[in-house]
Amino acid sequence: MDIMNDIEPISSLHRVVKANEDIKKVIRISSGVNLVALNAMLIAKRSGERSRGFAVVSSELRLFSRNLDAAMTGLGELIFSLVRDAAAMQRQRQQHSHFMAVMSINKSMRKWVEPPLARVEARMGSIEEEISRDWHKLRLQLNRVLQLCESGRSLSRSAKIEAVYGGDMSTTLKQVANQIEETVDEIFSTLKLLRMQLAE
Amino acid sequence: MKKLEFIYEDGAHKWAVVARDPAKPSHLIDTNEYLVLNGGEALLADPGGMEIFSAVFSAISAEIDPYTIRHLFASHQDPDVISSLALWLDFNPDLKCHLSWLWGSFIPHFGGTADTFVAIPDEGATISLGGLMLDAIPAHYLHSSGNFNLYDRKARILFSGDVGAALLPPEESGLYVENFDRHIRHSRDFHRRWMGSNKAKLSWCERVSRLDIDMLCPQHGAIYRGEDVKRFINWFADLDVGSGIRD
Repeated sequence: MDIMNDIEPISSLHRVVKANEDIKKVIRISSGVNLVALNAMLIAKRSGERSRGFAVVSSELRLFSRNLDAAMTGLGELIFSLVRDAAAMQRQRQQHSHFMAVMSINKSMRKWVEPPLARVEARMGSIEEEISRDWHKLRLQLNRVLQLCESGRSLSRSAKIEAVYGGDMSTTLKQVANQIEETVDEIFSTLKLLRMQLAE
Repeated sequence: MKKLEFIYEDGAHKWAVVARDPAKPSHLIDTNEYLVLNGGEALLADPGGMEIFSAVFSAISAEIDPYTIRHLFASHQDPDVISSLALWLDFNPDLKCHLSWLWGSFIPHFGGTADTFVAIPDEGATISLGGLMLDAIPAHYLHSSGNFNLYDRKARILFSGDVGAALLPPEESGLYVENFDRHIRHSRDFHRRWMGSNKAKLSWCERVSRLDIDMLCPQHGAIYRGEDVKRFINWFADLDVGSGIRD
């Protein structure tokens, strides 16, 4: 069975792991944004007064990178909660199946088994609710990160425009601006893909 | 929250530890879980108890893809070593669990099928991890009657299970032993009580002292490095074990 291609229930650890792998991918790329922005600032500084606009955009881009890091840390914390709840649900499911097995062996056990079984089912219900809330929070946080990325895309467009005014450094600045655009676009598309998966 | 830290890296060949957890409830003994990575596969040594599964799983998943874990290694049968087995198998039913043959019919009470377990004979065995050979070194009666350490001769690392363990106070939370004399005070009572045989202890000390070891990694407490490895083996050889019952 290819577990990655099947739609998993919300309490599945596989589903959490899949989301986490995408989040880790974005964290890896976003550390690249910081480096690209730093590089852009250094080049802008070397280019002098003509690329003052580019320097401002680069500095904004570093701020964007820091905000993105913080937002991704928030997503990571939600993943931790989801792992904890998915593990708790697995344990309850195991207990549930043990009690059901007792009942299937001997129906007269029902009166003994039903009360603990009801407690297990109640716990499963509340964990399920907690998991639903966590996924909802994850989706909301993801939307906030996507909005943040929109501002990153605007910055990358501004960087391209400012690069034109870079005089003899214009070609280098354009290359850096393209690098910025590619990196931000990669983050954006990964996050959109993740949002699509979470909506399933 | 538990965190994964790399302690050895040589290309794709790595060792990492999910070390002690300051946020752990005080009624649970603190544990270290070790992850060996090589050739796109990973082995998790002493995966830990059921209560800490989510903390261990989260710490590992934050750094590596947990689907790369193909093997579990249980040094012995204790609940803080392997009671999370059923949860790991729920995640990946194809996991193989390597452990002493002695516990082959006991550990399945924690979960797993006949296909899950790879029995290690008393004299030890070699476990292949993406082409890397790891040696299961006998450490019987230290403290369990069917007990193994795991040795990586390339990385020169010995995962020693309960041997070398220390029950450290919260203020001594470092990953490595920094002051042997101060550290060993937290090991003495543990080893006197939990290690049952002086004969088994001397046999272990004699065999392990012949191995090249840069790091000796216990399941509880801090990791011994460099000269402290030899210091520990000598200290242990001189310790009278099986004698720790309090008056």
